[in-house]
Amino acid sequence: MKVSDFERMMAIGLSRRAILKTGASLGAVAAASTMLDGLGGFGEAFAQDTAFRSQLLQIPGVGKGSPTDADWQKVGEMCLEATKKSVKQGEFAGVELSFMGLNNQNLHNVLFRGFLKPWEDYTGAKITWIDLAQADYNPRLQQAIATGTVDFDLLEMGAPFEGDVCGKGLASEMPDWVKAQIDMDDYVDYLKAPVGTWDGKTYRISVDGDCHNFNYRTDYFSDADLAKAWKDEGHEGEWGVPKTWQKVQEVTKFLKGKTVGGMEAVGYLDAPKAWGGFGFYFLGSRATAYAKHPDDKAWLFDVDTMKPRINNPAWVRAIQDVIDALPSEAGDQLNADPGTTAFQQFLAGTGSMISWWGDVGASARTSDSSVVGDTIGFDILPGSDDVYNAKTGQWDKLPSGPNHAPNMAYLGWGVYVMARVDSDEKKKKAAWSAAAHLGGKDLALWTAAYPSGFQCYRKSQFNIKEWVSAGYDEAFITSYLASQSNSYNHPNAAIEPRIPGIFQYYSVAEDELAKVFAGQATAQAGADAIASAWEKITDQLGREKQIALYKASLGA
Amino acid sequence: MSHTAMPAGRQPLSARPERAELQLISARRGRRLFAAATIFLFAVLLLQVLDATGVTAIGLVSWRPLLFAYIIWAAALCTAQILIRGEDGQRAAFVLPAVLFTVAMVVFPTVFGLYIAFTDWNLSAAAGRRFNGLDNLRTLFADVYFWNALLNMVYYVAAVLVQYAIAFGLALLLNAEIRARKFFRVAFLLPLMLSPVAVSWMIGKSLMEYRFGPAATLARHLGWDNPAFFSTPWLARTSIMAMDAWVSIPFMMILLLAGLQALPAEVKEAAKVDGASGWQSFKEITFPLMLPVSMTVVILRIIFQLKLADIVINVTAGGPGGATDTVSSFIFREYRDRSNVGYGTMLAEFYLVVIIIFVALILKGASRWMQRSN
Repeated sequence: MKVSDFERMMAIGLSRRAILKTGASLGAVAAASTMLDGLGGFGEAFAQDTAFRSQLLQIPGVGKGSPTDADWQKVGEMCLEATKKSVKQGEFAGVELSFMGLNNQNLHNVLFRGFLKPWEDYTGAKITWIDLAQADYNPRLQQAIATGTVDFDLLEMGAPFEGDVCGKGLASEMPDWVKAQIDMDDYVDYLKAPVGTWDGKTYRISVDGDCHNFNYRTDYFSDADLAKAWKDEGHEGEWGVPKTWQKVQEVTKFLKGKTVGGMEAVGYLDAPKAWGGFGFYFLGSRATAYAKHPDDKAWLFDVDTMKPRINNPAWVRAIQDVIDALPSEAGDQLNADPGTTAFQQFLAGTGSMISWWGDVGASARTSDSSVVGDTIGFDILPGSDDVYNAKTGQWDKLPSGPNHAPNMAYLGWGVYVMARVDSDEKKKKAAWSAAAHLGGKDLALWTAAYPSGFQCYRKSQFNIKEWVSAGYDEAFITSYLASQSNSYNHPNAAIEPRIPGIFQYYSVAEDELAKVFAGQATAQAGADAIASAWEKITDQLGREKQIALYKASLGA
Repeated sequence: MSHTAMPAGRQPLSARPERAELQLISARRGRRLFAAATIFLFAVLLLQVLDATGVTAIGLVSWRPLLFAYIIWAAALCTAQILIRGEDGQRAAFVLPAVLFTVAMVVFPTVFGLYIAFTDWNLSAAAGRRFNGLDNLRTLFADVYFWNALLNMVYYVAAVLVQYAIAFGLALLLNAEIRARKFFRVAFLLPLMLSPVAVSWMIGKSLMEYRFGPAATLARHLGWDNPAFFSTPWLARTSIMAMDAWVSIPFMMILLLAGLQALPAEVKEAAKVDGASGWQSFKEITFPLMLPVSMTVVILRIIFQLKLADIVINVTAGGPGGATDTVSSFIFREYRDRSNVGYGTMLAEFYLVVIIIFVALILKGASRWMQRSN
């Protein structure tokens, strides 16, 4: 071990014993891999790589408080090697870049600043920042596009907006050297093309992966009294974690009026209150198992006509499920948006099942307000005993069993370089270099392990040993990562359409659903109203154009 | 020879034609200057329009040249006024910059907004902005969300009368000789100093929170099993009204208090001497004398109330089922979540007209009522 490395590790708070222990174990792993592979050179490189990643995860160390700007800068500095291979020191002196992104919960851009500070010091470029709250993001972006006032060179953006940006030729095509630097083959399969591409060109550097997984309370489903009551009431099968939405409904109704550990028992937590369009994802998670047939890529619109499927029997069943479940959920569930269900209900001890992004699992043991850290389990979203076939208009029972279709809600954040830098080669290289630094493989490991706003999006992030060495409990992290990995790699994953104005569709749907959930309309009437509103949006945005972009986004 | 002496300051007769000629020259110059500046302004406008519509390809990247041309035209207009009208022109030049600024910042955007209101402009639409005649207006008349929000506004505006009654009561209390009067005056003003967004979080999302909120806990202790303040339409609407009242009552109260303090004490003292009870004194003297202040307070509050949005957006997002939606929060969703600029602007312009008519009717009605009362 180099003295500088040792000093660095001491500086970040590791004990001498911990360093020796880590060194010994890493040496053992390296030796084993060398023997197994019979490739000395590879083994050495692998050991160095493993040691490096282990060092990286020790900043600041799980359970040692929240990372600070100094930690982010340290991480950025340690991950700078890839940049140094393609950029000379001071090569971008005089270049000024503007970066637009989020500042939600003091994450995203706030971390990017720290990660890119060493990059700025090394390359000589200077970055100015445009920070936006989540709610302001869409209007700011849409205004910039519509009025031709794109005033940023780098953009943090979700894949659903690719239709708005890449479809209008506003993004810069990724150079080949960037593809090599960020190792795109390491991406989980669902984030590979067509995601991040438009008309065959690659635009996106992923920094995040997204899916809704199923979070449940282990204490509920191992409770002997509930198991007895379940049998006494004559329910079919053993008391346990529901694997289908049919069972989720049954369990939710069963739990009404019961107690667990002296507290009122609550089943599934729906999020009926509007959430700026994002609330629609939560109905989507209930619907995909019904609506996403394995033989059909589409599940939200018909591919050839953009005819909405929201009012087909599959979606109506999902809406009806929410209507039926709400009376058995918490008393004020009607006024709960997804933020409430995750952070004020589930993590605070109310409710036993919830579909959400990885934030719930990431917060379960790191958030001070969480009381479910030791009693939480994870799975992919529940399936359905039957699935609706939109082509035949029939409900199919699959020979393989229940249909699962994990909802790849939002498809994760990425960093995009805008086309306005293309006219200046130096600036273009600088912008792509900065983006590639943020999308680096090692940096990704750190952002997934610590609060950052980002989930796993690379295959290399699913190495349980790395997480355990960082301080995570093995059973917990195995369950958590498996729920994400199995969602990402699921052959019937429901991929969101990347078409312009997708959040307009969601926002209108939220308004109609609010009426349905408040009892002012039936599920079918509400779904028909949504379909009608969606048709109007499609016509307003240009149907032929939308169909073409929809097909492109599906890779059809 | 005093009778032959010229009055001080008067010019000799021979100087008058010279001056008149100078004035004529000056006026001619002024007119030329104004004409040149106007031609320049229209030329730049024409170039900008031709460039924007793609007829010519000058490559203007923004409308800034037109702004500069407008500033030059404004300066020329002021100078021309002085040159043409002399001292009168100088007086006009004091006012003109403010007028021209208002035209640029208020009148032009309003007129431009009116044009936008008659276009189909969705920021995500491939075709961009298109004139669509009365389509937005037709959509508005058929839009159940708009009419639902407008109906809610009727309830919210009606609630102003309750707020007024409470504010009047508090103002009377703080006007009386009570202990710690100064402390209470400051304490009652505190809610007004808070941002409605902060109130939304502190009260709507914390105090009234179903699980742990102190208000919900108290309600449970009082025997309400399910203290969900936002789960049924009327309860949610009432809860929003209560939060809005908490912020707004101090505003009404402070104006009413100022009015009460300005009342002549002699009249009340005379009534007291004549044996009037407290209620009689209030009914026959205080309330009638306070009518002008009361009308001002109520009308101001109604205008503010018609713009209610922040608390609703933060606490209920218009739910449950649109029960708490306001026109402003609906317009906010059309703009922010749906990027529907054309229709959103039509909603805003139409609502502006509705407010103007409504407030004008109130003022007229109030004026008649006051005359009758007098």
